[in-house]
Amino acid sequence: MPRYESDICIIGGGITAAMLALKLSELRPELSITVVEAGKRLFDTENRMAYRQRTIDYAENAWPGDFIEDQAAQGVISRTMAVGGSALHWGGTCNRFSEEDLRLKSMFGLYTDWPLAWTELEKFYCEAERRLGVSGEPSPFAEDRRSEPYPMAAMAMTHNLIELKRWADQSGVPFQTTPQAKNTEPYDGRAKCIRCNTCAICPTGARYSPDYTFRRLLQRKNFALHDQTLVRKLVLDDAKSTVAAAEAVSYLKPDEPVEYRAPVFALTSGYCWSPHLLLLSRSPRFPNGLANSSGLVGRYMCGHAFQSAMIEIDAKIYPGMNEQHGLISRQFFRVKDREHFVRHDLRVWESASGHEPRLRSADGRILLGDSLLADWRQRAQRGTARVRGYHDVHPDRESSLTLDAAAKNRFGDPLPKIDHRLDAATLARRDFTHEHFQQLFQKLAQAGNGKVLNTGAGNYLDHPAGGCRMGGDPASSVCDSFGQTHDHENLFVAGSPTLPNAGCTNGTLTFVALTLRSAERVAERFHKG
Amino acid sequence: MSIRRRTILSWAAYLGGALRLSGVRVWAQTANFPANQDDALRALAVVVLPAELGTAGIDQKTEAFVRWVRGYRAGAEMDHGYGATRLRSKGASPAPNYLRHLEGLREALLSGDADSKRQAVTAALEQAKITDLPRTPDGRHVAADLMAFYFRSSDGNDLCYRAAIGRDQCRGLDGSEQAPAPLKGRA
Repeated sequence: MPRYESDICIIGGGITAAMLALKLSELRPELSITVVEAGKRLFDTENRMAYRQRTIDYAENAWPGDFIEDQAAQGVISRTMAVGGSALHWGGTCNRFSEEDLRLKSMFGLYTDWPLAWTELEKFYCEAERRLGVSGEPSPFAEDRRSEPYPMAAMAMTHNLIELKRWADQSGVPFQTTPQAKNTEPYDGRAKCIRCNTCAICPTGARYSPDYTFRRLLQRKNFALHDQTLVRKLVLDDAKSTVAAAEAVSYLKPDEPVEYRAPVFALTSGYCWSPHLLLLSRSPRFPNGLANSSGLVGRYMCGHAFQSAMIEIDAKIYPGMNEQHGLISRQFFRVKDREHFVRHDLRVWESASGHEPRLRSADGRILLGDSLLADWRQRAQRGTARVRGYHDVHPDRESSLTLDAAAKNRFGDPLPKIDHRLDAATLARRDFTHEHFQQLFQKLAQAGNGKVLNTGAGNYLDHPAGGCRMGGDPASSVCDSFGQTHDHENLFVAGSPTLPNAGCTNGTLTFVALTLRSAERVAERFHKG
Repeated sequence: MSIRRRTILSWAAYLGGALRLSGVRVWAQTANFPANQDDALRALAVVVLPAELGTAGIDQKTEAFVRWVRGYRAGAEMDHGYGATRLRSKGASPAPNYLRHLEGLREALLSGDADSKRQAVTAALEQAKITDLPRTPDGRHVAADLMAFYFRSSDGNDLCYRAAIGRDQCRGLDGSEQAPAPLKGRA
């Protein structure tokens, strides 16, 4: 059986792994690092313009081969499994959480607090923004103060965004451009954005993607990336509670198990596959899986709910100028008290909704050629704003990831099943939350002589996290604020699984900030000997 | 038992051959699209694309549609979605369907006046129960797909707004704060 030894074995090859490996390689260049990823490496940047074009022309997958057919989870929101993970095709949005997210219990008597001070996290937000290359502008709210400026100036607002901001500001809600990991100038060896309008497949590298970090790491002699290799189980040292090895299998040689040995293991497989591996790693000594003496591995699975509206307004919008760039208001990150608790961000993008070409007129007649164009032009005289608020909801303990005995991969391992559930306090304010958004959408519409075309609520929790939540008490958490598991001193969980709650805006920057902080703790272990 | 086995094997061989022949035929129909229906396709384009494009513009869009059909890859992976995920692949080439549709419309498209051509196309779309333009051409009817191909394109978007938005182009950030320039000539 092939056996690979390194100082640090990182399991999972997404943005968390990239950032952890990069920072460790800087802090302790002498350490050998191996990253093991189930998916393939899709490093053919030279083909990305062609993939982009096939996506536009034929709706083909912009990342061919970025999934494993039989490695699926019920309730997962992305099938991407490749080196780079979901951040291969993310939109690059880099919003910070706010202090309220870390202080729900102490400020509002809700859910829980994080075992981490806001000022501590804020330092690592700055570092995350530097490493990812974030362009942005400061928030107008004092509570969002920053200790460092954004590394790059904000992306210029298009004509459409200027129009949308003019409209939205009239409502009395202050908006700013959304910070993004997209280059507004050449940065870190990557090009300036040229507004291709397809950030999910950025053909130029202007939007940060972890594959760039991995390629840089691969130039180091003591870094190894083993892709197409699925870790199936973590194994403990005999009679000790430290992890000795990761048992894996290569998709290229499925009959030949592979073993990884290291003094430190870091689990960076995201909110789904990290708790899944811990649960799979059960043994007679640990029948409920590893790191699970609290019974909370795969519990408190979280994310945020969202409410959306399409609002038609008096504004000249030209759909397609830069649909990926939008506005955010952080006004609703703050709430007065528990009785008025509806925390959310508020986002605005250009949209063609309601103004797209259609085959049939309002009275059902088929439109061809000139009549179709005339109908389209008539409807396109007004603009549409796509509005969305991600709102803060809190998970119940039973919000779970479990092993699904009815669904197994080719190796016979049960696959994960995610069942999000909200806590009683969140459920109790559901109607109040809905009413708040309806009123807010109407208020926005009225500001631009507008009309709410439609509203809707998401049927899943977006930007998911959790499953190995951090905490100070081993009885109510899986790991500490550095991701070090309470049960196994050489096993870390990094990034999204460690979040107790998912805030009310995109989580990637927070996952990265926490990971960079974890890297310092991991590095310290080697200093200590 | 041996007779039954031989029978099954012979049927399997026949079916395999038929499938192979069918596959070759679809490949040929895709690669040579629109073959002998070129005139019908061009006549259809005049009915379903905007006159504002002009004769040359309509011809240009028709040729782009032909290239699109020829470049279609049956079975190619599609995006697996976000939120609600599903592994999907592209269906069979639409070329055989298109050729059948064009054959059905051929007489009306090549001999009738403008009104009767529009009526024939409208009737065909009604018969095919097409309710809206597909997001991308899906093979249900060549008339709807040719319209979707153009009207949902970046060029179609520009024509609607009479502005050089260039939605699908990489355009640079500079100047994007200005409204797009008025469209020069025809999209």
